[in-house]
Amino acid sequence: MEAYFTPAEQARLAASSVLLIGCGGLGSPVAYELAAAGVGRIGLCDMDRVDLSNLQRQVLHDSADVGRLKVESGMAKISALRPETHVDLHPVSLTSENALELFTQYDLILDGSDNFATRYLVNDACVLTGRPQVHGSIFRFDGQVTTFIPGQGPCYRCLWPTPPPPGSVPSCAEAGVIGVLPGFVGSLMAMEALKVLSGRGATLVGRLLVYSALDMDVAEVQVRRNPDCPICGTHPTIHELIDYEQFCGGVGR
Amino acid sequence: MSLTEQEILRYSRHIILPEVGGRGQKRIKASSVLVAGLGAAGSPAAMYLAAAGVGRITLWDPADLTAADLTGAIAHTRARIGQNRAESGRAKLEGINPDAEINAVTDPDVLPALVAGHQVVVATTGDWTAVQSAAAASGAAVVFAGVHGASGALFAYRPGEPCLGCIGPDAAADAGLLPEETGSGDVDTRFAGSGGVGRVVSAAGGVIGTAAATEALKLILGIGTPLTGRILRYDGWDARFREVRVTRRSDCSLCAGN
Repeated sequence: MEAYFTPAEQARLAASSVLLIGCGGLGSPVAYELAAAGVGRIGLCDMDRVDLSNLQRQVLHDSADVGRLKVESGMAKISALRPETHVDLHPVSLTSENALELFTQYDLILDGSDNFATRYLVNDACVLTGRPQVHGSIFRFDGQVTTFIPGQGPCYRCLWPTPPPPGSVPSCAEAGVIGVLPGFVGSLMAMEALKVLSGRGATLVGRLLVYSALDMDVAEVQVRRNPDCPICGTHPTIHELIDYEQFCGGVGR
Repeated sequence: MSLTEQEILRYSRHIILPEVGGRGQKRIKASSVLVAGLGAAGSPAAMYLAAAGVGRITLWDPADLTAADLTGAIAHTRARIGQNRAESGRAKLEGINPDAEINAVTDPDVLPALVAGHQVVVATTGDWTAVQSAAAASGAAVVFAGVHGASGALFAYRPGEPCLGCIGPDAAADAGLLPEETGSGDVDTRFAGSGGVGRVVSAAGGVIGTAAATEALKLILGIGTPLTGRILRYDGWDARFREVRVTRRSDCSLCAGN
């Protein structure tokens, strides 16, 4: 077995496309690493501008980028590293109105969002469009990563059927986060994306990695499809995108 | 050492963590880290340490940047091919955090001599045996981080705890705990610009490099359980982690007596 991607696998990466939801902590390493590995097209979806408090962990952005659209700052870094990678800019908020149309333009969706409404929206749109999804989340010193492929394993709703009560989970701003944490979780996510796109290796479908930075320990949890899942189960009840802000209690977290 | 108003804003997500706080952020600011090798693991390690607010970072790398490096090492750019990798890394880090003092060292022979001037060493390339000996003598902590293809291994050393010599060269090699390869002799230029025939998968370098930066910050802050006395192995193709326990050897040629 070759240590690196074979020429055929590299050709698959060069012909592939990925949509990054969020160009923040998780999206930062992903953008660099997918471009470096030779992914052909990367879509950046984020409506935010770079803030000084982002720079402690969002290495896609320089100090001089404060105030700039994150998607523009991200494109500049990708192009400097590998000009052949095409970058699409989507400086918009992902909504039930634009998600399906956006997702069908890409081979894989990588969820680097920071709120529950977006996570459910990304999940449902991936199931409805049949797109693989790499999921990651971070909190203080802890992180989780898995891969969802429609038809091959569980989806986000199989694992978390209902969102937590509004206000019960503090945000990054409220709880803090060790800066290097999204670097680690995002890199694991990028590796998953590269495996799905190249066809090489065993992905995390059916497995959830649970990481503790304080312990430097990674545990694996087996996760299963829920036959009663309202979107990917045997008798789905969700056939189109819903109002996710309302579903999550009107709080974007 | 105090924090400016700008620094309090910049590091606010650290400062509100009880494990870090204003006091911890000042410790990070007062710290010094030597990063040996600006390849696939050293690039993200150095970038995240700069972003986290480490006050002084020395980048050591005698190699010049090649097209193949760019398939794995994210601190660099296409325009800097041919430049020294430590110099290229310094440009990247200064963009991320102009407040940090970044030094680039290109002399191939000085790595062991640099160890004593730093609190923590992140070793991804170079002569690890010499780094380990120098650290045992000076009291520096070391995070050894090796990556090849999509696999890697990580190990932390603190004075008084098991060292690289206690593991032994054969066991270290078996665990994949080896310096990242440098040099461009094996580059197939047909793929330069289309992904390239690199030695390390970018994302695996990211996993190992960010884990190394995490360990460095934990050692600086004195928080959590450091990766001393154990090797963490990562297989990116399978997304599996394994831990190998390491014990101190009283007859170790590198750390005995220290």
